[in-house]
Amino acid sequence: MKENAASRVLFILLLFLFARLPTNYTLTYRKEGETLIHECPDYKTGGPNSCYFSKKYTSIWKMYVITVSAINQMGISSSDPLYVDVTYIVEPEPPVNLTLELKHPEDRKPYLWIKWSPPTLTDVKSGWFSIQYEIRLKPEKATDWETHFAPKLTQLKIFNLYPGQKYLVQIRCKPDHGYWSEWSPESFIQIPNDFPVKDTSMWIFVGVLSAVICLIMVWAVALKGYSMVTCILPPVPGPKIKGFDIHLLEKGKSEELLRALESQDFLPTSDCEDLLMEFIEVDDSEDQHLMPHPSKEHMEQGVKPMHLDPDTDSGRGSCDSPSLLSEKCDEPQAYPSKFHIPEGPEKLEDPKTNHTCLQAPQSTSGEGKIPYFLANGPKSSTWPFPQPPSLYSPRYSYHNIADVCELALGMAGTTATLLDQTDQHAFKPSKTIETGGEGKAAKQSESEGYSSEPDQDMAWPLLQDKTPLFSAKPLEYVEIHKVSQDGVLALFPKQNEKVDAPETSKEYSKVSRVTDSNILVLIPDLQAQNLTLLEESAKKAPPALP
Amino acid sequence: MKGSLECWSRLLLLLVVSNLLLCQGVVSTPVCPNGPGNCQVSLRDLFDRAVMVSHYIHNLSSEMFNEFDKRYAQGKGFITMALNSCHTSSLPTPEDKEQAQQTHHEVLMSLILGLLRSWNDPLYHLVTEVRGMKGVPDAILSRAIEIEEENKRLLEGMEMIFGQVIPGAKETEPYPVWSGLPSLQTKDEDARHSAFYNLLHCLRRDSSKIDTYLKLLNCRIIYNNNC
Repeated sequence: MKENAASRVLFILLLFLFARLPTNYTLTYRKEGETLIHECPDYKTGGPNSCYFSKKYTSIWKMYVITVSAINQMGISSSDPLYVDVTYIVEPEPPVNLTLELKHPEDRKPYLWIKWSPPTLTDVKSGWFSIQYEIRLKPEKATDWETHFAPKLTQLKIFNLYPGQKYLVQIRCKPDHGYWSEWSPESFIQIPNDFPVKDTSMWIFVGVLSAVICLIMVWAVALKGYSMVTCILPPVPGPKIKGFDIHLLEKGKSEELLRALESQDFLPTSDCEDLLMEFIEVDDSEDQHLMPHPSKEHMEQGVKPMHLDPDTDSGRGSCDSPSLLSEKCDEPQAYPSKFHIPEGPEKLEDPKTNHTCLQAPQSTSGEGKIPYFLANGPKSSTWPFPQPPSLYSPRYSYHNIADVCELALGMAGTTATLLDQTDQHAFKPSKTIETGGEGKAAKQSESEGYSSEPDQDMAWPLLQDKTPLFSAKPLEYVEIHKVSQDGVLALFPKQNEKVDAPETSKEYSKVSRVTDSNILVLIPDLQAQNLTLLEESAKKAPPALP
Repeated sequence: MKGSLECWSRLLLLLVVSNLLLCQGVVSTPVCPNGPGNCQVSLRDLFDRAVMVSHYIHNLSSEMFNEFDKRYAQGKGFITMALNSCHTSSLPTPEDKEQAQQTHHEVLMSLILGLLRSWNDPLYHLVTEVRGMKGVPDAILSRAIEIEEENKRLLEGMEMIFGQVIPGAKETEPYPVWSGLPSLQTKDEDARHSAFYNLLHCLRRDSSKIDTYLKLLNCRIIYNNNC
């Protein structure tokens, strides 16, 4: 500050025209909140054409309204008023006592230590002023300055100096809301040639640390190399289909391949409970006449072998379809009600693929809840039904098992589609996986989850309104009469339009036997056998059942 | 499974070790420096924060005023109307350094509190009305919002300082009430801008007063006039 920093105000007066005539200038002012007009207290101290306000006349936080007037022979002319608040126009003196020092501590980087003091007239100690500082330096021959800002402290450390150079340093300051001071006079310092630029201790530390880390890694790898590698680079899982023997692919035998594929459990599991339905296919044959069949062991009184229809004709089940029904077509009539649990030969190969395609087709009424039957592997027998019969609708129409299985397995997905493309004759009987009826499957009504055991790995939706399946079939169908508490089926032959309604409904409640390929053979119990027999036989059957 | 567990535990160990090695220099400040049962922020910290906030508010006010001046007040001569327009002019604030240094810190603190309280209401309305101005630059609006928040914060801090420096202080004294809301809401755009100009001009000044008084008190009480 040129004089008393807080109190001096230096105004620069504009000179008006007409300097030839002797002219007197006067400055008048008034302060905010006062009405009195004062004249400049001191025209001299500030030099020509200036007005000096000493401390006594200076107030901060008050507006000054200043006017300059020119008087000469021609008259008086006044300037526009100038409004000034002292607070915002303070310009300090430059900082003093600038000292430069080179420091080179042992464990740290070397630096230049710059210190200074605030201007003498600025009262920083009492807190009246807050001063900010700015330092600039450059090598003597360079053109650009390197500028540093120091908000409060009166010292600064500079790193990264070039050895062998002579540096110039300057400093200036300003109050919070005011103007910057002038730059202080230059200070010089010579950096010696052997001034170390880099600090080596840090690099040593980094080197040691990385060596330690490497050692630990090597040790870990040596001890448990494989598990580390698998941890970092887990092996890519190969393609895997459950129960599928990959070597079949290598052999390249399409028949076996397809057989293997179709025996898989492709069906959705427990989270589709409401869509899962049990169904039992019962083959109704009044003649109780067994159809000739290649695998004779399947043939039993009232037992009809089941063939899967691999193609997607939706359940016509007529002699047109190249399904198992071709055999039926030779037969004069349907068979007695049979309860047939189909099975594929793959079951013998791989117990996991055991499944049953049991249909309990829906009647045309389509009412009621449809129980579902989760076919299972070797874990448990899904027959008899584990659920209470209350979920059961007493009437079920009857479908060709192939069609039902189609529909059911429509939900299975892509693999089934794949199978569809293949040679149909490659399928053996008791294939249950089919394609196609995805759309039909979608029509299934909601059914109560019947067997919701999580270990069930397969289920088929129950068909609902399967009118298309009722086209002329040589088969007769069986109705499920009821299901006992233990989930045991009681079956009736369906009323066939062509045939006079039988006087009584037969009850197929007796299990004749279980075949080698895990097919339950039912026969009507002429003595109106109760359900317990069925239960008993079913209980015996479980180990053999899929 | 076991292998991956071992693997992860080793990685974790490495991480911990490297962390320990690299983070040696961290020092945590105690939460209760005055001992348990007396867990208060020290007066020094309170003053530090108050000074920071008041400095910040003053910076924001200056910037906001300059922005407004640049955008709405060029060549309009609003300054002439700004004289004697501050609602806080009734407060007997010291006008220069000597006066301020001779004022007792109790009086200074009461003045600071009075100023802060009297600006609560105008700042609230300032934000509302600035929002309603057409095409107001975000620089002005964002600063107005910030100042209002910081003012409340500073008032809280000052009340705490007041309670510590002058225990058992008497009830709060009345503070000047602002009544300039109608002028902020006039239809005449020039008059409205003039009213805003006055308000921002007064805000800049009062925030400078608060900042200066606080810094004076800080150096006087905490640093014993040896800042």
